[in-house]
Amino acid sequence: MKSLLGIALMAVIATTSFTPANGANEKENTGTLQLLPSAFDYKPQGDDERGLWMQMDEEERSVKASKFLITDPELNTYVRGILCRTVGEDRCGSTRIYIMRTPQFNAMMAPNGMMIVWSGLLLRARNEAELATVLGHEFGHFENQHSLQSFRDLRAKTDAMAWLSFVPYVGVIGQIGLIGSVFKFNRDMEQQADMVALNYLADSGYDPMAASDIWEQLRAEMDATAAERNRKSMKDHNGGFFATHPNSGDRMNYLRTAAIKKGGDHYRNGAAEYRTALRNWWPKLIDDQIKVNDFGATDFLLQRLAKDGWTGELLYARGELFRARGKEGDFDKAAELYQQSINTKSNIAENWRGLGLALMRSGKKNAGQKALREYLLKSPAAPDKSMIAMMAGVN
Amino acid sequence: MTFRVILAFLLLGLPAIAAHAHMGVASEKSALKEGFAFPEKGSVRILLFRPDVIVGKQSTGGLDQPNADWTAQARDHLVTSLGKAQGTRSNNMKLMPELSGEDALLMADYRSLFRVVADAAITHKLFPGNLLPTKKEKFDWTMGAGASRLGTIGGGDYGLFMYTYDSYGSPGRNALQVMGLVNGLDASSGVHIGYAGLVDLKTGDLVWINADVRMGGDVRTAEGADKRVAQLLENFPLRAGPATKAVTQ
Repeated sequence: MKSLLGIALMAVIATTSFTPANGANEKENTGTLQLLPSAFDYKPQGDDERGLWMQMDEEERSVKASKFLITDPELNTYVRGILCRTVGEDRCGSTRIYIMRTPQFNAMMAPNGMMIVWSGLLLRARNEAELATVLGHEFGHFENQHSLQSFRDLRAKTDAMAWLSFVPYVGVIGQIGLIGSVFKFNRDMEQQADMVALNYLADSGYDPMAASDIWEQLRAEMDATAAERNRKSMKDHNGGFFATHPNSGDRMNYLRTAAIKKGGDHYRNGAAEYRTALRNWWPKLIDDQIKVNDFGATDFLLQRLAKDGWTGELLYARGELFRARGKEGDFDKAAELYQQSINTKSNIAENWRGLGLALMRSGKKNAGQKALREYLLKSPAAPDKSMIAMMAGVN
Repeated sequence: MTFRVILAFLLLGLPAIAAHAHMGVASEKSALKEGFAFPEKGSVRILLFRPDVIVGKQSTGGLDQPNADWTAQARDHLVTSLGKAQGTRSNNMKLMPELSGEDALLMADYRSLFRVVADAAITHKLFPGNLLPTKKEKFDWTMGAGASRLGTIGGGDYGLFMYTYDSYGSPGRNALQVMGLVNGLDASSGVHIGYAGLVDLKTGDLVWINADVRMGGDVRTAEGADKRVAQLLENFPLRAGPATKAVTQ
């Protein structure tokens, strides 16, 4: 039963993806005025679009009540502000942004205007222009009705597959071919959305080069993950035949070429504003990232954040990272990092907890217990108070 | 970036729907907590939680295309039919109002919890193959006493949850079904499943559940919804005492 309900739901969510690139031409040929979904008071047209919207409205009800939803009004206003600046105040009104606390790089767009942004994206973007790239890309899917187009395409192709399944042998090959074309269709849509986003960036004054930068960084992060795990980097591996998105390297290249064509030196990327706005969230986002258990990628992200110097928060985070890995020498390294963070007068109580635990793990019991007692003094209401008190030998 | 995994899942998952809908003749099952009956006298206040309803059309390839009008009509019809059906049982049913703030979050939590509990009960109690040795003789699933807060918010003694999923075969799908029969292959047309469950809002216990993977009644019409509700409420708990039997038969 569970799988059945799950599939029913998946049939709904699956719908963000492809368009015949000539969609715009068709609209022109009809000679009638067609509103974009981003237009004020747009109503879905036809049975299939209305059905998709209805199901996404239902989905939105549960997203609103999700435990992962970040409700911080300041952060929400900030992210929304970037979208509106990018695509225009007159268009962004048709979308609702939901920031979910999930430590991976992703964003999604539903046909009814619901945009979901994962917090891992906020950690990885280095400036407003990079965030605007992804928001603009998702908005491009929305405005070009890619969900609807992909649903129609999937419907047409699965219909053909159903008929073909009655023809032995030929049917099997034919079906595989059609599945391939479903995903090819999707890749074309992704590229279209990429170009839409790039134009939005340039028009709004954000540096269009940010679009290729974010892919470059993501590729470097994949290299870091692989190096730590002694594996081949996944950066050029995205599913081959079934890949729904352009290869990130191709993507980086065509975006860079397009950005160079835009030219100009009047662009800005909003790095300082971005750092200020995310200041309160970074410790939490980094903490989430550490728990993903991907040392290579996390250290890569920390190093990058520390480009302009290691703050107390970043040193603490790196200490946590080494302590969590716990390989030979890691506890000493962690203790050193906590101590450096303490020396910056960062006043993070958890530094003493980390220091104490790291020292105890490397056999320095007395020094460790002393640090743990310091933690309890600095954070008398700590949620892990009883456990730490026991380890510190406090009654 | 967007829904790739899910999309892939969808393609792999389609045959599962057809297989599931063909679970055989004994497709409808219900369970009642042992010895449970509504009090003989006095009012029984049943709080109906917003029914989960999806009505759509099944394309030739088996893809469901949700339909907004059918779904809205079906929800209205089903709520009306449920109200009528409970009225004839001398129970008072009312719809839980739309909530906001903390209450809405609490409702969302219990909606999810119910789905999990109902899913476990359906899998391990109603249908053969997955019966748990410790649950063979009894029906004792619960959402915990915290569920009583829903009763306080909405003003009810019992909570009624309902789920229906209908996908009507398109002309192409029906043709495919015929073609399949000719070729000795299986291509089902249409999916009609549903379940309903009753929770005691004092204890949080699931006292009754009924599930069906081949439901009748066209929920897009008032008469069809009446038929569907009658099917969903089969073996619904009765009032204690001898007088009530006449009411429900």
